[in-house]
Amino acid sequence: MIAKNRAFPGGYRFKHFQGRPQDKLIKAAIPAMVTIPLMQGFGDEVAAVVGADDKVAAGQTIGRDDESISSPVHSSVNGKVVNIGKIDYLGNETTAITIESDGTEGWQSLEGCSAAWDNLSIEQIEKLVYLSGASGAGRDGIPTGFNSSIISPDEVENVIIHGVESEMFAVSSGLLLKDDNLSHFAEGTKILRKMLPHAAFSIALNSECKSLITDVSGALADNDWCDVRGLEPRYPADYDEVLVSAVLGREFPVGHLAANIGVIVLDIQAVLAVYDAVVAGKAVIERTIALAGPGFKENLHISARVGSPVQHIIDGMVKQDADLRFLRNSCLTGEALSDLSMPADRTCGAIIAVVEGNNREMFAFVRPGPRKDSYSRTFLSLLFGSEKITKLCETNLRGEERPCISCNYCVEVCPVSLMPHLLFRHVEREIIDEKLLKYGIYDCIECNLCTYVCPSKITLGQWIKDGKAKLIDEGLPCPQPKFALKGLEEDEDAK
Amino acid sequence: MKVIRSLLDKLYEVPGLQRYKPIIGAADAILYGTNETTHAAPHVVDNIDIKRYMSFVILALLPAVAASVYFFGFRVIAIIMVSYMAGGAVEVIFAMVGKHDIHEGFLITGLIFPLVLPPTCPLWVVAIGVVFGTMFGKEMFGGTGRNIFNPALVGRLFITIAFPAIMSANWQQPFDYSLETDATTVATPLGKYKSTAMAGEVNPTVVEFKEDEANKQVLFTSAAAVEKCTLNPESKFDGVKIYCVGNGAYKKAAKHKRIEESNLTRLFSYGDLLVGKEPGSMGETCRIVIILGGIFLMFAKVSNWRIPVSYLGTVFVLALVGHRFLPQDIAPPVFQIFAGGLMFGAMFMATDPITSPFTKAGKYCFGVSCGVLTVLIRSFTGYVEGVMFSIVIMNAFTPLIDQIVLMFKYRPAKT
Repeated sequence: MIAKNRAFPGGYRFKHFQGRPQDKLIKAAIPAMVTIPLMQGFGDEVAAVVGADDKVAAGQTIGRDDESISSPVHSSVNGKVVNIGKIDYLGNETTAITIESDGTEGWQSLEGCSAAWDNLSIEQIEKLVYLSGASGAGRDGIPTGFNSSIISPDEVENVIIHGVESEMFAVSSGLLLKDDNLSHFAEGTKILRKMLPHAAFSIALNSECKSLITDVSGALADNDWCDVRGLEPRYPADYDEVLVSAVLGREFPVGHLAANIGVIVLDIQAVLAVYDAVVAGKAVIERTIALAGPGFKENLHISARVGSPVQHIIDGMVKQDADLRFLRNSCLTGEALSDLSMPADRTCGAIIAVVEGNNREMFAFVRPGPRKDSYSRTFLSLLFGSEKITKLCETNLRGEERPCISCNYCVEVCPVSLMPHLLFRHVEREIIDEKLLKYGIYDCIECNLCTYVCPSKITLGQWIKDGKAKLIDEGLPCPQPKFALKGLEEDEDAK
Repeated sequence: MKVIRSLLDKLYEVPGLQRYKPIIGAADAILYGTNETTHAAPHVVDNIDIKRYMSFVILALLPAVAASVYFFGFRVIAIIMVSYMAGGAVEVIFAMVGKHDIHEGFLITGLIFPLVLPPTCPLWVVAIGVVFGTMFGKEMFGGTGRNIFNPALVGRLFITIAFPAIMSANWQQPFDYSLETDATTVATPLGKYKSTAMAGEVNPTVVEFKEDEANKQVLFTSAAAVEKCTLNPESKFDGVKIYCVGNGAYKKAAKHKRIEESNLTRLFSYGDLLVGKEPGSMGETCRIVIILGGIFLMFAKVSNWRIPVSYLGTVFVLALVGHRFLPQDIAPPVFQIFAGGLMFGAMFMATDPITSPFTKAGKYCFGVSCGVLTVLIRSFTGYVEGVMFSIVIMNAFTPLIDQIVLMFKYRPAKT
């Protein structure tokens, strides 16, 4: 069943950027060493269940905590634990297990998996999904009987599976659903439905990939609990906040999670991981990662073991002569990877290499700019943008910071209808009071699109974030939504 | 090129020149752009910056400048240069004292200001006006982005009040490049309409000539009005001076047998108004390029369509209704749209994002109010032109309009 699209206000299409990954998948070599952080994604840190010098197999659980909201983590290689210690990972101090690999490819499968999954009981499936770590996907996780999400399986009303590719660079949904994976995806969706029998499923894909939408809806044809729809790949269409209102027409609980209103948002890789766990007994030890951006010799996808150092994944793929900045997952919201020995965990979907634009350009502001992207229509890229003439992607600011001139670009692109420049003016002048609440500061989903389009180069997104932090300091936290929320008690128990 | 680069780099180091850093920095930024990079997410940003944003306004104004030079001679260039130099000096001084970068907003003020002056304006008046406008219209409020009034209009308003003789009567006839101002000045179309309409009847249905009325004159604003009057057998046109607005009325009147050609005058044609062959401020006369420039800016997303459309629409509707009932005071709608500074003001001055409301509803409110004020000032005051006053007045109301719109937009939900 193909459902109709709903629109959201604002947003921006990142079209034809240089370095978009092609639909080509290669396999990375088994790394000599992996580092597995014990906190990956949204959950709490789990406790290590192995000790130093233990021999481990790929797929073996090495960290698990059934009490707190979390999913187990696994060794992604066969080898020996060499160290368990704290690392500085993405700005948090996290315990991580370092494993020396013996270089073999094999992995240990989970007990109880079955290709005839229909014969398994719900409890058996839940156990497989939980033990494989697949339940730790997204921001909400997949609810099981093992505290893998803040809500229980019965409370799930909707599941949204998305592959809209609205980011400047994203893993190609077409590649993920190629060949056998299409039927795996369909099976995975059916498994999820068996686990969450009260939930309606919505699959949101890039509306421009018509054939993919037809294929997916064909593979799930005679299931009335599932609809497939195309969404315009307008950033930030892949955000939970936007999906909940665009796909379901429901109001998002500001300041909370989609799970709080009984909605679970997953990506395509999460569904494939569910299939792998239940049918093949394979834990989440591999990720498909897009190597995007102009810094790579070739832009493609690479399948790498979880916990591989970034350096290992991109080894030999990077252009040597360029000054590059490596980003994790997103150009707009992702962290810069300053230390390439850090691992890529199971939440990593893309490694982006952009050129450091620290060179000056003669008369930059009057150039016609056939390859310069802009929300305004002041560059020739408007006429030339195509797969052949791609748009440049580098970190140059392109101008000096200037006072706000109320050009309203930020208002026009805001996907949640805020007035970012108005919030900025208040925070800048230290006016931290109810006014900010009134202007909806907590509705901000921090997509950073306002900062992207600002001609005055004001970091609006950061100002709004600071404003929220200051408001909380002042004792004005985000007001509770008027409707009932789920999963709050569990949340407090966990604390 | 490398010579300039190394020269600039050296200039930064010279200790005596530290005070002039804004000037060096501005030259550097214009020549070479920035080498700054983003330091946090988003790591890649849009290519537009304020320099390009502002230069697009200048780009859209260039055809109007060229038309101005074509119609009024090279003196226009001299006036623009004086404006840039005098105003630029103010901007630089404030940047040096305030120790901030030179802001690009001045590039627009420095060009718009001369374009709204009469072509005969003495250069020293240009300098005084632009200095006043930049200083009291912008810098006193804290510079670009904080000003309440459009600085170009503040300058223009100041010299209108300070030098009324220069600003009200001296209108150079296009193509008359001589500088003997006394001999060549004429009234603008709006002025002509006002004086003619006041002196006689407008669109009468019957014209009667009486002996005691020696200088009887009538004004027809449309071909339909001419027809209505001439079809009336009681109309007598002997010795009556007849003025016509536009070619349609003129041709209709000329065809009529009872009207002698020596008594018939065409005030102006709409074609001349559109092309710019009628007297007026330097940049406002060639309406066709102003319209094109304005549409270009809206397409480039540099200006917003809401203010010009609501502004022009309001003037049109008010004039349409008003002219029917008060033809003596209110000029016909199409004429109002194309006469005076309305097109220029609506396209390039009312749309200034800093001094106009940022809310959508506010923009409509601003445009409609400007339209109402323009028609009122043009029709019922001693001034023939009302665009400048109406925009300045509405500039003052901009913060209030925005506050009211925000109040409604974010009012607490009824419980």
